[in-house]
Amino acid sequence: MSNQNILEINQISKNYERKIALSSLSFIVEKGELIALIGPSGAGKTTLLNLLATILQPDSGEVIVDGKPITQYADQKKRAKKIGIIRQQFDLVGQLAVIHNVLAGRLADWGFFKSLFSLFIPQEKQVAMKALERVGLPDKAYERTSNLSGGEQQRVALARLLMQKPEIILADEPVASLDPARADDILDMLTKIAKEEHQTVIASLHSVEYARKYFTRLIALKNGELFFDLPAEHVTDEQLQDLYQLKELK
Amino acid sequence: MLSFDLHKRKVLTLFLLLLFAWSLFGVNWQEGVMHSSGIGPAAEIFAAMFTPDLSLDILILAIESSWLTLAYATAGMSLALILALIIGILASGVLASGKRSRTYMKGSFRGVLGFMRAIHELVWAWLFVASFGLSPYAAIFALAIPYGGILGRIFADMINDVPEEPILALKATGASRLQCLFYGYLPSVKNSMISYTMYRYECAVRSSAIMSFVGLGGLGYQIQLSLNDLHYDEVWTFIYFLIILVILIDGWSNMLRKRMQL
Ligand SMILES: Nc1ncnc2c1ncn2[C@@H]1O[C@H](COP(=O)(O)OP(=O)(O)O)[C@@H](O)[C@H]1O
Ligand SMILES: [Mg+2]
Repeated sequence: MSNQNILEINQISKNYERKIALSSLSFIVEKGELIALIGPSGAGKTTLLNLLATILQPDSGEVIVDGKPITQYADQKKRAKKIGIIRQQFDLVGQLAVIHNVLAGRLADWGFFKSLFSLFIPQEKQVAMKALERVGLPDKAYERTSNLSGGEQQRVALARLLMQKPEIILADEPVASLDPARADDILDMLTKIAKEEHQTVIASLHSVEYARKYFTRLIALKNGELFFDLPAEHVTDEQLQDLYQLKELK
Repeated sequence: MLSFDLHKRKVLTLFLLLLFAWSLFGVNWQEGVMHSSGIGPAAEIFAAMFTPDLSLDILILAIESSWLTLAYATAGMSLALILALIIGILASGVLASGKRSRTYMKGSFRGVLGFMRAIHELVWAWLFVASFGLSPYAAIFALAIPYGGILGRIFADMINDVPEEPILALKATGASRLQCLFYGYLPSVKNSMISYTMYRYECAVRSSAIMSFVGLGGLGYQIQLSLNDLHYDEVWTFIYFLIILVILIDGWSNMLRKRMQL
């Protein structure tokens, strides 16, 4: 049973000074689920994803990854095999060639000298080229990353994630700064790859349409609390209206 | 908060202006500032500007001294660059494991860099000449230490200014601190490091020329000898060579910068 639950979130809370970002949030994620986190801005989506990525620590509560508390994944390299995160574009090192940003996904497995050597003669090049092919950028391998467009950079980040192969993919607004065509492209690719690799995805999105189109389960947050948690096809327009309403009518 | 900062800045500006005004009173304008014999030598020196000595033996001497000046500057800068990279990276604190050790590391290595550049290269040159005698090593170390201190400090600051997000992303992919250094920090600052090093190299050539006054040979030494002999036309030959050196390096650094922008 616990093998099926790749992620258990138990009563986690997080405050910033006096502000409550998350209050006593709990839910369980099964392996292979595609989850969209939705909710108005300031609802706590980024905070939740950063907690899961251990960029932040919760004030109380615990996160259990594959049957083990996340705090016990002290080794960063082992944790990287479990959880990977993709955020907005500025996550890449702009001055590096694209291929090195992609190969950075292998750093957890590489020793220091191999990774240093790879900056001069790229190692495991075939695998990296294959990842770039999958995201549709096979001819950009040696370009400077900062010269790529926003959508292309996001695909490079996706290729890096392909190299890293974490069991759980966290994505914070992965398409926020892209035009609709590109956004469709990226989300389609992300969810397709995740299905092929049996990965679990939790992505925060500002667009409910995308959430319904590409994801199987929607978790809605509002004011740091769970607003609803439903299969994508069960979410009603009324619920969404409530979710995004500025002030609740009492 | 912001208005307070602005206010503080104004106070600081006023203070600096007052300090400047006060410093003007500190200079004794009546005596000493001008040459006692008046305008004569100055006119002679500036007249010679248009008639540099271009005889063959002076040109050969100028080329030899330029070479020496450039060689000292290059060797000194190379050593400075190595020192700056090592100490600068340590002083940035990015290799430290925890918050405490990071503060400790930053503090101590920045202290080392501060000590290196607190003493001017001429003073180092005197010290080294006094301890080892007139040897090329004296010139090279005298340049390398303060320049290493300056470069190291700037490198450390550049590394600390690298945006946080790409580094956090690298850490999330499981990169160690050293891997973050080579995949994140160094590629991000490489171009600025090269630009700044080239600029400092230019300064090092000038310093190297000056340093030869201490008796280490080079353009400065020749300028001093010619000045003593009142051969102002020779002085200008050497000065023009110095200018050419600086311009050449500037051209080279521009070329490098253009290539980096591709
Ligand atoms: N670093 C921070 N310091 C103080 N408050 C913060 C910080 N980050 C987020 N918050 C607050 O926490 C709440 C949740 O923010 P966030 O998780 O970024 O929401 P979302 O990603 O859903 O827009 C917001 O009210 C926000 O203002
Ligand atoms: Mg957010």
